[in-house]
Amino acid sequence: MILELKSIDKSFGEKEVLKGVSFTAEGGRAFGLLGRNGAGKTTSIRILMNVFPADGGEVLIDGRPIDYDKIGIGYLPEERGLYPKKIIIDQLVYFAELKGMRAKDAVKAVDYWLGRLGMTEYRNKRLDTLSKGNQQKIQLITALAHDPDIVILDEPFSGLDPVNAMLLKDVVKEQIARGKIVLFSSHQMSYIEEFCDSIAIINAGKVAVSGDLHEIKRAYPRNKLVVSAANTDRIRAELGEICTAREDGTLLVRLASPDEKQTMMKRIVEICDVDEIKVLEPSLNDIFVEYAGAQI
Amino acid sequence: MKQFGKILKFELKGYLRNKVFVGITIFLVVAIAVVMFIPNIVSAFESDGGDDTGDVMGELPAMLVYAEDEALAALVREYFAAAFGGYEVRIAEGTLDEIKADILSGEAECAFVMNSASSYTYYVNNLSMYDTNTAVADTVLQEVYRINAMVGNGLTPEQAGEILSVQIESGVEMLGKDQMQNFFYTYIMIFALYMVILLYGQMVATNVATEKSSRAMEVLITSAKPTSMMFGKVLASCIAGFSQLVLVFGTAILLYNVNKDALDNPLISSIFDIPVELFAYLIVFFVLGFLIYAFMFGAVGSTASKLEDINTSVMPITFLFVIAFMVVMFSMSSGSVDNTAMLVCSYIPFTSPMAMFTRICMSTVAWYEIAISIAILIGSTVGIGVLSAKIYRVGVLLYGTPPKLGAILKNVLKK
Repeated sequence: MILELKSIDKSFGEKEVLKGVSFTAEGGRAFGLLGRNGAGKTTSIRILMNVFPADGGEVLIDGRPIDYDKIGIGYLPEERGLYPKKIIIDQLVYFAELKGMRAKDAVKAVDYWLGRLGMTEYRNKRLDTLSKGNQQKIQLITALAHDPDIVILDEPFSGLDPVNAMLLKDVVKEQIARGKIVLFSSHQMSYIEEFCDSIAIINAGKVAVSGDLHEIKRAYPRNKLVVSAANTDRIRAELGEICTAREDGTLLVRLASPDEKQTMMKRIVEICDVDEIKVLEPSLNDIFVEYAGAQI
Repeated sequence: MKQFGKILKFELKGYLRNKVFVGITIFLVVAIAVVMFIPNIVSAFESDGGDDTGDVMGELPAMLVYAEDEALAALVREYFAAAFGGYEVRIAEGTLDEIKADILSGEAECAFVMNSASSYTYYVNNLSMYDTNTAVADTVLQEVYRINAMVGNGLTPEQAGEILSVQIESGVEMLGKDQMQNFFYTYIMIFALYMVILLYGQMVATNVATEKSSRAMEVLITSAKPTSMMFGKVLASCIAGFSQLVLVFGTAILLYNVNKDALDNPLISSIFDIPVELFAYLIVFFVLGFLIYAFMFGAVGSTASKLEDINTSVMPITFLFVIAFMVVMFSMSSGSVDNTAMLVCSYIPFTSPMAMFTRICMSTVAWYEIAISIAILIGSTVGIGVLSAKIYRVGVLLYGTPPKLGAILKNVLKK
């Protein structure tokens, strides 16, 4: 299954929030939607979920306009919250029923998930008696109980302790393995890097870059070398301004162009005894800062 | 449609599990039961304790009469004794100060000190709000004065008495409705309508705002259509409010019939003497009036980000409703329920539930007038319902300061 957002436009009043946003997410793979606060991520997600219509563009599943009666979507919003005063099982079954499940199936599914997340003991308690992390796990059930085709998780790891984060990772991996489209939105780059095969970075209502994460990384200019050596001072004295010391004690050497790589490596090896020289692979963080940071 | 049913069920369950809602309903039913059984309870106590307290009951409070002219004092005493059945009327002996002392000490309750046949001073310790003694005394003294005057002009006391006590025979034939008879039940029904709509309307607004402020809305809005949510919520509150009304009024009517003999009082029976067809109108106007206001309350609730904002946000609607209530109440007590204000109000959808209903209760309204009023009301209710669902969809996702109504309407109409 392939989900495609095609040149989506959206304005609220005078304010243009999305300007031709397009990206593609595939079933069985996780997709990371990145962007700074206010870039338009939540608006894109809401249009994808048909909370409000787009002014232009379309949402397609396998090339055809999405049929919301057939395609189930599960959503964990960034702004967490359910009914604080209501019994947990009641509200979870209610939300599952709203998503089209029959009462009996809803109870079964909710009980499965309560067990899976280790929350069965809270089944008949009021939500506001739970800790924040546990409330978050309860909310995760609203996104998963009805076995949706598309799972959208907005900052799923915020507020979880390491054990619960592990549990959530397992759940997410299982969803991906079951062939679902899993859409991540997060500022925690390490999680995105761990899960997502492809990403889109939205900046000021436009997609700054999108596609396969490895390809994006490869396309990132390979014009920096990382040198680790016993005596970096000699290299610095020799090469001058193009060198900067990194926190881990290695040296970063900026090249005028990627073509210089080979010559520069030879030159450094001749200066002193070098342990390792490699081309700097950009982290997702670098890419994010590059694409999302520049224009705001 | 399926979603709507589920939302309705969930919301109704919420009301039934709300301890305050259930508590208030039980309290009202019990309170009405107690009121209805009071005459029976009182009479039961009276018949039990009758033997012991019999002679105490026979002691009447004393009323003193004083005049310098002894003949006048005797005459007034005689007439007052006949007029004030609840008093032991005595001629006072002694000075004015002694009379005052008697009243202060509680020996006597009140005193009439006659200055002349047509002038007196009334002495009493605490003048009760319901003290009608002077009014009765005025009538009696007037009669005495007139008889004396007629006798002085040559008539016999019997002739004078006959002239003064002539009876006028009269009969009233109502072609329309008896407003006096209808006043109380109309008043009670209008007041119930007012209370229920205002209370439940506020509840709907708070309910929506709570979902929004707890962020449950984020999940809800992606799970259900705003129209289903709005209509489910409003209808659930309508059913809850209506059942509460039926329960309370049902208990009252049932217990009235059980205790009918003990409650033999024209005022009380006028309250319960409600024609059946009025109940049909009550239901129609209650349901429509409730819905139109609940929709507006819901829409307003959706624009508030915090619960604290609710009170200010619903103010315009509450005002509208209170004005409608005032117009109706003033017209009712002024006795002219068909005045221009009421005529206009009975066709405006926001005021017609109360105005038209009052006119149907207390006056004669042509069937087509009722039909037009109800048709306008139904049309507007549907229109407001759809519009408020749209406002709701835009409103629930807006956080921060409540947006201006104009801005929201612009947003709604754009789509």
